[in-house]
Formats: sequence, structure tokens, C-alpha cells
Amino acid sequence: MIKIKDLEFEYYERDEEENLTDMINAIRGINFDAAKGDFIAIAGRNGSGKSTFAKILNCLITPIDGTVLIGGIDAINGSDEDIFKIRKKVGMVFQNPDNQIIGSVVAEDVAFGAENIGIPSDKLWERVFDALSGAGLGAKMADTKIDELSGGEKQKVAIAGVLAMKPSCIVLDEATSMLDNKSRWEILESIKDINEKLGITIIMITHNMDELLIADYIYIMNKGRIFLRGNKESIFANKEKLKEAGLECPAVVEIKDKLLESKVLRTDGIFSVKALVKRIKAEHPNSFFLDTKQEENHIVKAKINPVNAILFNHADYSYDKKTVLKDISLSIGKGEYVVIVGGTGAGKSTLLKLIPGLVKTDTDMVYVDGVDVMDKASDIGKIRKKLGFVFQFPEQQLFAKNVYEDVVFGPRNTGVTEVEAEKRAYEAIEVVGLSDEIYDIPINKLSGGEKRRVALAGVLAMQPEYLILDEPLSGLDPEGKQNMLDIIDALHKDAGITIVMVSHDVESAAGYADRLIALSGGKVIADGVPANVFYEMYLKAEDREKEIYNLPVIMQLLIGLRNEGLEVSCLVKDIDEGIDNILKGLK
Amino acid sequence: MLRDITIGQFYSVKSPVHELDPRVKIRFVIVFIILSLLDKNIYLFGLLTIVFMTALIVSNVPVKHMVKGMRGIIIFILICSMINIFTVYGDVLLKIGGITITAEGILKAVYVFWRMLLIIFMSSLLMYTTTPTELTDGLEKCFAIKGNVAMGITIALRFIPVLMEELDRIMKAQEMRGAEFDKGGPVKRIKSLRTVIIPLFQNSIDRAKCLADAMDSRCYTGGKNRTKLRPLKYKKQDYIVYAILLVLLIVGIYFIIKF
Repeated sequence: MIKIKDLEFEYYERDEEENLTDMINAIRGINFDAAKGDFIAIAGRNGSGKSTFAKILNCLITPIDGTVLIGGIDAINGSDEDIFKIRKKVGMVFQNPDNQIIGSVVAEDVAFGAENIGIPSDKLWERVFDALSGAGLGAKMADTKIDELSGGEKQKVAIAGVLAMKPSCIVLDEATSMLDNKSRWEILESIKDINEKLGITIIMITHNMDELLIADYIYIMNKGRIFLRGNKESIFANKEKLKEAGLECPAVVEIKDKLLESKVLRTDGIFSVKALVKRIKAEHPNSFFLDTKQEENHIVKAKINPVNAILFNHADYSYDKKTVLKDISLSIGKGEYVVIVGGTGAGKSTLLKLIPGLVKTDTDMVYVDGVDVMDKASDIGKIRKKLGFVFQFPEQQLFAKNVYEDVVFGPRNTGVTEVEAEKRAYEAIEVVGLSDEIYDIPINKLSGGEKRRVALAGVLAMQPEYLILDEPLSGLDPEGKQNMLDIIDALHKDAGITIVMVSHDVESAAGYADRLIALSGGKVIADGVPANVFYEMYLKAEDREKEIYNLPVIMQLLIGLRNEGLEVSCLVKDIDEGIDNILKGLK
Repeated sequence: MLRDITIGQFYSVKSPVHELDPRVKIRFVIVFIILSLLDKNIYLFGLLTIVFMTALIVSNVPVKHMVKGMRGIIIFILICSMINIFTVYGDVLLKIGGITITAEGILKAVYVFWRMLLIIFMSSLLMYTTTPTELTDGLEKCFAIKGNVAMGITIALRFIPVLMEELDRIMKAQEMRGAEFDKGGPVKRIKSLRTVIIPLFQNSIDRAKCLADAMDSRCYTGGKNRTKLRPLKYKKQDYIVYAILLVLLIVGIYFIIKF
């Protein structure tokens, strides 16, 4: 269906005198094939050329050399009509839900593509409803306004919009990277369904390594080339090479390898938690004897620093008569590293915004260092000086002509001398691990990961005592994530900064935080040591089958084993501890 | 607070007004506005007010929602119309220092305020009850606008809430870095807005690029051969509303001539 040979693409940037300043998004000699019904994943770090490649598949950019045949049509030298035909066959779903939805109401957006290809009006509604159900949305959604949907729902609408055109191939360009785990897996499941039931070819671009596991064939890209290609077995056997490409092994694979190493497992080639549970049970039938209903004793409170720093006192918040937060009572101590988790609409971001009074509620509900944030008599400016706030996608708030000017903006506002402001800016840029060569570089010349670090530096230059972060890892590739986590960890350990972070990246949250707070429907449902909170979230969930995706993979496995009757403790910090527990349980 | 602004936003409920053909609604609003501009006349304004109230009640759009979204504008036109009180010549009612208040001035202020309210409320009622797509379909037909211009309007309306939210977020982020938007003289204030406007524009440009790709990839070619999910087709109730509109026009003109 798709045949690509010796593909080359270059994109140059020139200054006013036509001198070459930059070359980006290059693709070097790619060969690629996809047959009807294939499920192919393409992974690579940011800037590896994977998104450029995706756009070529949809004729959004034209390569400079090579052959691209899509359904037999030449995509490079084709006429406008040919390109129209290709786009009818190959649909595309993009990363940001807000930047690809055209209609204001679900049905209007889903119909958009089908309208463009001239499907008669009396057939359109049928297509809309079919597409909605194909994407895992109900027909009832048809009349819903787009801005009332969650990110996950919007992405499903985008998928439905492609489905309504009845394509033979769908390209997903990091389509799940802005979603929480539960919505992510929901979307992946519908994509898998679309692939299996409708026989539509799927080409999925991602840097979320665990998503590769649902694909049949994997390409790894690095520096514009196909660096590795093969099935799961061969790709993940090559850990060194993956690392070279800036990627890591999915947690499941790492667990599987360790299970093989410790002889718990004797068969290789298993790539899902469910299959691992089954296999382990089959290989050790005698160890599974526990009453499966028995839950583990798990209530362990995290150590809380008695020096109160941030206090929520029965805090409520509602917007437009909708309750967002209800009766939140929390005390966060100085020097803690707290991660707040919970699904879309749980109220996580609002909780963060209450701390510096960015959204208002009643007095006597939120205190920072003993000062009532909501009281008009309090000096809110003084409180805010202590609080560094990093919004989601903070790079979207950069405004200055170069890195230094942006970072120095904050300290200048605090009224310190210019020399002092400069000093603070330089220090902050150093803390986020950027070299001093970056000072004069214009913002738009930076990579996505660098921009985010500059934005963080801009907040750190205010020298806050508390750092509040809203999804700081969102959209970063594995390297970028690790980098960000190391910076935050250093700020916590070395500078003693209190960290309050919202993240849907549970694997990393569990690894670094002292304490986890789980929100659901605007209420705190669990608060304590990370593993225990995850377990409680799972126990309290209405739909445990789905909720389990919000847990670290090792805990998913342990809970799976326990539910099958293995006596094993599910409350673990990391993979090694989990493997030890399994070994103990098997005896 | 910025997120409270609901102007131009579709309000999703079921109602007979929502069901009407957008062309009917657009023409109705146009005639309504023209009538309100023709004369300052208590009978005429009373009639138009009754018409608006009826439409509002039938539309199921909560009054609260409407007023909340337009608080800023109401205050703005209130101030604008108040200027009349001091600037219109006539029988002097009160004189304080250099300021004179006249009866004619007050009357004129009331009429101007009333008229502006009628116009703004009626046109927002159109926006509340019509999705951007329907609205542009209607405009396309009523004014023979080209398809891609109409698409531009649809997208502009679609992105108002997205941009409002973004504006809110950027302002809060800069405030947390010590920016003060409400302090200092006008020059300083405008200067301080630079830290908000630049990223907002930058992001909008990035967004526009993505959106263009998304539209291309879904085979948008400028509206040629495009079909419609909801093709415009007059139904019985549309003709009835046209008839009501005709009656309104006649009665309105009668009031203008008579009084």
C-alpha cells in the first residue's frame, strides 16, 4: 500500500543575506514499506525526523528525492488531483487536539473531511455515527460542544474525523502524547480495534515506548535515518542501540528480561502484563493458592514534615456552579516532594492554582507559610515571591528576543539591582543544565526540550522556596523527561526546594516523590507513600480493569499475580523490589 | 475572569430557535437592527424589546449566562451613552461647575443605551443559537461570501475560547514572575502587555500552521465540491418566522411614521 525508496528531505533556514543558518528536519535515505492491514510504529527522539516523515506520507511536505508510492500513486510528482486521492486514502491524526479540530460541535468536525471529499448530505450522518462508534465514542456525543470535551475525547473526535473519510491508512503523529495513561490506553485500544476490525493500516509515530508493544512492526529513527527495524523481539533485544537513539526499553520489557534473568520465567517473547501473569501462573501453578479476594493491608501514611508550608483547610472550589474541588484538607510540609495524580477533570491543575491564589475561593481555605492566600488583607505579592509556578507547556509563555532576556525578566520585576538580577538569571540557566553559550540565542532557535528548560530557568531565577509544576514532563521524549526529572530532583535535594507537581507520568512520579496525593472527582482519595497510594487508587476505582493503567507497570504485574492467587506484596518502589517480591512469593 | 467572556459562543441546548434555518435568523437580526436604527421611538423600542424577550425565552438560553458574558460590554455602552447627558443641548436641569445636565441629554442617553442593548443582545442571541458552521453557511448564502472566507469566520469563532484560555494562562504565568498588568500609567501598562501579546501571537501562528496541515490532510481545497452535513433547507417553521418578520417590519414602520 505504501512503498518508499531512498527518501531524502532537507529544510534549510537562511538569514537575510541568504547565508545558511540552520538545517532541520532532515531525512536521509529512508526505505519503508507498509502493506494493507499492517500496524507499524515509528519511534525516535524529538528531532529524529519522525514527524517530518509522517507529513510526507500525507503529502504535507514534498521530499527532495526518492520515490513515494501510496496506493500506487506517485506522491512526489503527482498532480493536485493525485494528492487529493492520496489524502483520501491516508488520514492523519496530530499531536495537539486543539490544533486539528475545525468544527465547534462534534458532528460538524467529524463530518468535515467527508464533506470535503464530496460525500452527499444524506449519507453524511450515517458516516458520522459509524465513525463515532469506530473511535469509541457514543452517538450521543454528536451534539456536544468541542470545548466541553476532555483532551482524550477530543483526540477520539479527531480519529473519528479521519474514519469518516473511510481511509485505508491512518497516520498518528504522537497523537497520545498529551493525554493521561487511562485515556491513552483507551485510544490505543480503539486504534487496535480499527486496525483489526476494519483492516485499516496504522502508522503510529510515538516516543512513548510502551505504545510500541501493540504494533506488529517497529521502526526506530535516529538523525533522519532508519536506525533499527524489526519486530518487538529483535528491537528490544538491542538495548544499547535503543539508548544510542535516545530511547529506552518499555517497562514491561525490562520486567520480562529481569524475570527471565532470575529464572522466574522460562519462556521469552511475552510483551504484555496480562500475558506475563498467565505465563508465570502456568509455570508455577503450585504457588497460586491465595484467596483472590484478599486485599493487602496498605494504609501507610507518608512522613509529613510538621513544619507546615502549604495548607488546605476544607477548601472548595467551583466554577460556573460546577464543583471542581470539594472539601480538600491537606498539609504539605517544607522540603517535601509531592506528586499529585488523578485522571482528567479530577481538579489537579485547579488545586495547584489555588496555592498562589491564581483562582479565588473563600478565605480561611488556603494558607502558605501561615498566611491566608485568599484574604484580601494578606500581602499576596510577598507570598507569590516564594512560589515558583511552572504552567503546562511553559515554553509557550516565552516572549523575549533571546534566552537571557527572558530569564532575567522575573528577577528584574522584583526590584533587585541589575547586577543581582543578572546574577540570578545566570545561575538559573546553569541550574537547568544549559551552557552559557545559550544566553544570546533567540528562543525560536531552541529545541522543544531546551525551551522548556529556559522557561523553568525563568521561574527559578525568582529564587522560589516552593516549586509548583503542572505536567512538566508532558510532550517530552524519554531523554528530555529524564533530564527534567534530574533537574527537579536536584532542586529538591540540593536546594531544599519544596516540590508540588502534577503529573500523569506515573512511572517517574513513583520513582522520585516522597509522597503521592491522588485526586478523583475533586476529592482527595488517597494520600501517602507512592506505592500505597497507587494501590488504594486501584482498590477505590469503579472500573479496576481500566484504572490499573494508571499504575506503574510493575504494580500492574504484581496486582495481576495477586489477583490470580500468588501471595505477593504489591507495594513496591521499583522493578527490582517487585521482582524480589515475586521470587519470595514463588518460594 | 477572561474565561467568562462568552460572546460569539454557541450555547448547546435544544430549542425552536436553535432549529431555525440560519438564513432566517440572520435576516431577522438584520431587519431588527435596521429598525432599531431608524428612529428613536418608545413604541418601536418597546416592540423590539418584546420581540427580543420572546426570542430569548423561546431560545432556552439562560439570561444569566448571557448577561454574565456581556458584563464588560454593558458597562462600556453605559458609559458611552452617559456622555450624551452632558453634551446634548436643551433645557438645563442641573448645573454643577462647568457641567450641565439637560433633559434632552438624559432622554438621548436612555435611547442610545436602549438601542445598543437591543442590537448587541439580539446579535448575541444569534450567536448563542447558531453553531459557527451554520452561521457561516448562512452568511455565505445571504451575502454571497466565498466559501473560504466563510471557513475563516468559522475557525475564528471556534478558536475564541481556546485563545481566551491561553491568554488567561500566559497572564497568570507572567504575573507569577512578577509582572504587574494593572499598575502604572497607560504607557507602562501597554508595555507590560508585550510579555503576553508576543507569546499569544507566536502560539497562534504555530497553531495556524498545525491547523492548516490538519485541514489539508482532511482534503480541504477551499470549499469547491464540498457537501454539507446540514444542508440549508427551509422548513415550515422557517416560513412562519419569515411571516412574523414581515409583520414586524410593517408594524415597525407604521410606528415610525405614526409617532
